[in-house]
Amino acid sequence: MLGEALAVLAKELRSELRSRVALNAILLFALTTLVAVAYQIGPYRIHEEDRPHLLAALLWIILFFAATSGLSRVFVKEEDAHTAKTLRLAARPGAVFAGKFAFNLLLLAVLEVLIVPLFCVLLGYSVAGPLGLAVLLAAGSVALAAVATMVAAIIARASGSGTLFAVLTVPLALPLLVMLIQGTRAAAGSAEVAAVLPALRGIVSLAGVTLVSSAFLFPVVWHD
Amino acid sequence: MASVTVSFEDLWKRFGRRAVLTGVSGTLRPGRVLVVTGPNGAGKSTLLSIVSGLLRPSRGTVRYRNGETELPRRAWCGVIGVAAPDMAVYEELSAIENLRLFTRLRGLRATDDQLAELLDRLGLAAREQRRPVGVYSSGMKQRVKLAQALVHDPPVLLLDEPSSNLDGAGHEVVAALVRERRPATAIAVATNDPREAAWGDEEIHLAG
Repeated sequence: MLGEALAVLAKELRSELRSRVALNAILLFALTTLVAVAYQIGPYRIHEEDRPHLLAALLWIILFFAATSGLSRVFVKEEDAHTAKTLRLAARPGAVFAGKFAFNLLLLAVLEVLIVPLFCVLLGYSVAGPLGLAVLLAAGSVALAAVATMVAAIIARASGSGTLFAVLTVPLALPLLVMLIQGTRAAAGSAEVAAVLPALRGIVSLAGVTLVSSAFLFPVVWHD
Repeated sequence: MASVTVSFEDLWKRFGRRAVLTGVSGTLRPGRVLVVTGPNGAGKSTLLSIVSGLLRPSRGTVRYRNGETELPRRAWCGVIGVAAPDMAVYEELSAIENLRLFTRLRGLRATDDQLAELLDRLGLAAREQRRPVGVYSSGMKQRVKLAQALVHDPPVLLLDEPSSNLDGAGHEVVAALVRERRPATAIAVATNDPREAAWGDEEIHLAG
């Protein structure tokens, strides 16, 4: 199964490196919103006491909506290009989900590696606990990639799948977003990794529940 | 290669109020070619999709047997090769990369030389095999689709309009392929082309 999942991941990476559709959509959205926010707010236009709350929320709004503009493509493009049936007959559902989940996780990692440092520089966001923030970003990416991959599989065969993806993902990811914003605020205010633990517990639980339920649900969604 | 027999009984398929298949039965046996004919919209592709497991029938059963052993539905994918107009290969990848992917997904190993040999036999020139499929003509894409269906040497072959988009030479390549595979493979061909219909030992005609 691992070999098959790696084959799906390698296919996704090779296709994406040649077409760059998802990467361009995500990065363009993230950079545009980041520049617009930085231009309007900059490092000085928010009161000091409001900064931890507002900047943490702004960071995750940019990351989340940038991610939703590209993560659905893993399944939508299979249906659009008529390759879904070929893949259904060749690969086990678990391998397909694992490969596409890993690809979405990598996309999120690229997004975060590029956008988070830029956000900190352009908006003067100082993070007292960078390690805590890194752990939070990693756990948040796993949870977000799991939710996005499962929703993408559900909506891929529907018409108007782009709108449907946002409509389904936003309510499912809302508790995750709240926890990520709380955790980011905690990481910005404290050098201790322990500061992010309350939020981290919730995020890891949500990621675990989503991945386990996906393992049972995905084969049904994929084949029917 | 295992010897697999596929039987389907009393297959019905409805899309809303429209009944596409009404009680179709038949058997695919090694050494025999079953041809499915009928006008456009008669349900030829739907029948092959149900037999392959891609689509569930509204009523009726499909059974895969390896000798006396009935294969579970999840095992069907391992024993069938399917080429159909609505089943594409990846356009960003080359023909060789596509075949390498589909062998790895089935847990098999094949060298690039073996994959190139299969593409050669289907008439895809060596210089084209490493270019992205997206730049191919429709006939060249059809040859890669056929190669994808054959790459794991399946004992059951479902071909939906296999010569579509192919020129006369391409049609001959597919005809030779069916002749070569026939002794050990259960083959079904859905077609409107009288040349392809002539390959059949048995025929199911869907009236539509």
